[in-house]
Amino acid sequence: MIEIKKLEKRYGDGNYALKGISATFSKRLTAVIGRNGAGKTTMMRILSTQLLQSSGVVTINGLDNIRDAKEIRKNIVSIPQEASPIGYLTPMEHLKMYLCARGMSLNDSTIEAGKALKALELWHARDTPTDMLSGGMKRKVFVAMALAANADTIFLDEPTTGLDPLSRIEVWSAIKMLRGNIILTTHYMEEATELADEVVMVDSGKVLATGTVSSLLSKFKGMARAETSNANAKATHTIGNTKIEYIKLKDTERYAKNGYIIKPITLDDLFVMRGVNIES
Amino acid sequence: MNLRFIGTFTWYYGIRSIKRGPSYIISSILYPLVFLFLITIFSAGRYIDYAVVGGFISIIAMNAIYSGSDMAFQRLQLKTQDLFVATGIGPADYMLAMGLSYLASSLPGLAVYAAIGLYLGIFGVASTLMFVVLLLAVLLGTMAISFTIFGFVKHVRNIWGIAGIVSILLTVLPPTFYPYNILPKALLYVFMISPITEVAMLSQGAFGLAPKAYYAIPVLVLEIIIYSAIGVKLMRWREK
Repeated sequence: MIEIKKLEKRYGDGNYALKGISATFSKRLTAVIGRNGAGKTTMMRILSTQLLQSSGVVTINGLDNIRDAKEIRKNIVSIPQEASPIGYLTPMEHLKMYLCARGMSLNDSTIEAGKALKALELWHARDTPTDMLSGGMKRKVFVAMALAANADTIFLDEPTTGLDPLSRIEVWSAIKMLRGNIILTTHYMEEATELADEVVMVDSGKVLATGTVSSLLSKFKGMARAETSNANAKATHTIGNTKIEYIKLKDTERYAKNGYIIKPITLDDLFVMRGVNIES
Repeated sequence: MNLRFIGTFTWYYGIRSIKRGPSYIISSILYPLVFLFLITIFSAGRYIDYAVVGGFISIIAMNAIYSGSDMAFQRLQLKTQDLFVATGIGPADYMLAMGLSYLASSLPGLAVYAAIGLYLGIFGVASTLMFVVLLLAVLLGTMAISFTIFGFVKHVRNIWGIAGIVSILLTVLPPTFYPYNILPKALLYVFMISPITEVAMLSQGAFGLAPKAYYAIPVLVLEIIIYSAIGVKLMRWREK
């Protein structure tokens, strides 16, 4: 379990990336969702002992992230955002190198790396330099590292950013095979819907809401999203040229006749409802 | 120290890269070979021994400099450092693994120079043993300077430019390819900021190419200790 109390991060230029976040991550997979610049990566880097906070307390399974960093590192895996494998090394070499860094013997690392590569269907590419692999397979190499490490807590920072839809599905199924508690950041709401037991919404360095996907969407029960780009249309929410109304399901036909596009409610709508400036 | 990690990293990233990335190896050999050629031509063969000794030093120093620049690339572009920070290895493990990988990349170049040195008959047993120790010193000292400098680089595009500047300032300017005793004393002392200068002075003394300069030994040891401590401290392993 991870507990965060009043976590703040202020950079040298005086800007705050985190403004007193408090949260508890206790579910098997928690998705931290938010736009670019919301503070997700800063939070992940602090939790995974890569970055020091300016103030606040973080405990991971009862261990303090500053005082007990060495102990914490034995039981976590952190896959950074936009991490790339070293082009001319193979998936097998990456995994063995990583597992040896975690203190595993060379023999055990060969066995565990083999198991993980087979489980994630990368075995056939085990000796192929990673710069010859597709984007999805490259990401799966990192997920394989996490799988082989068998850690208690796994941090995945935007594991599918930049991947095509099929590759994303591939990586999702790989993530589902991971053991331990997983904290995953994403700005793809469907990713959170697909994978998460709990969602933490972050914006501008603050937690906006926490809950399961269904509990967060419960306020939209019996509703749909109506969108139009008609400049004269009246709407509660405007994002760029798009006007958005949240309407009751019984009204969808009427709105559709007036040129609105009707869409089902997703986690995106939580951000719209809360007035988060999605545009920037 | 996680010796298993250091060994695995060196094997995969250093030794195997010799086969997979030969262009880098060739470029690191070519650079001092060009100096060897020019010095031999201009001095009508008189300073060829300096060029051979300097070639050894510059190959190791250059690779140590590039290990620091590669570390910056891995930190900024590949995010490899972040990946390793959360594993329990320390900055010294990573520095050493990277340095040894690049030392492995130096091996073909060193073999070429060893062949030239043997052909010219400049190696004696005692002088060669001392030279090996001095080459290890240049590896440690230059790595420490390099990791310190590249710890401050924030943009990938600056890495290779800075590597070029540092490489010229540290390997060409000091008396690696010419006798240290022809330098004005004041300038020599300025160049002694870099451990490469002391190694060049001591190596030239060991091979009888210039007067022995024992006073360079404590300076070299002190610099390696100080630069290594600064390198580890400023490496930005766990960022603030």
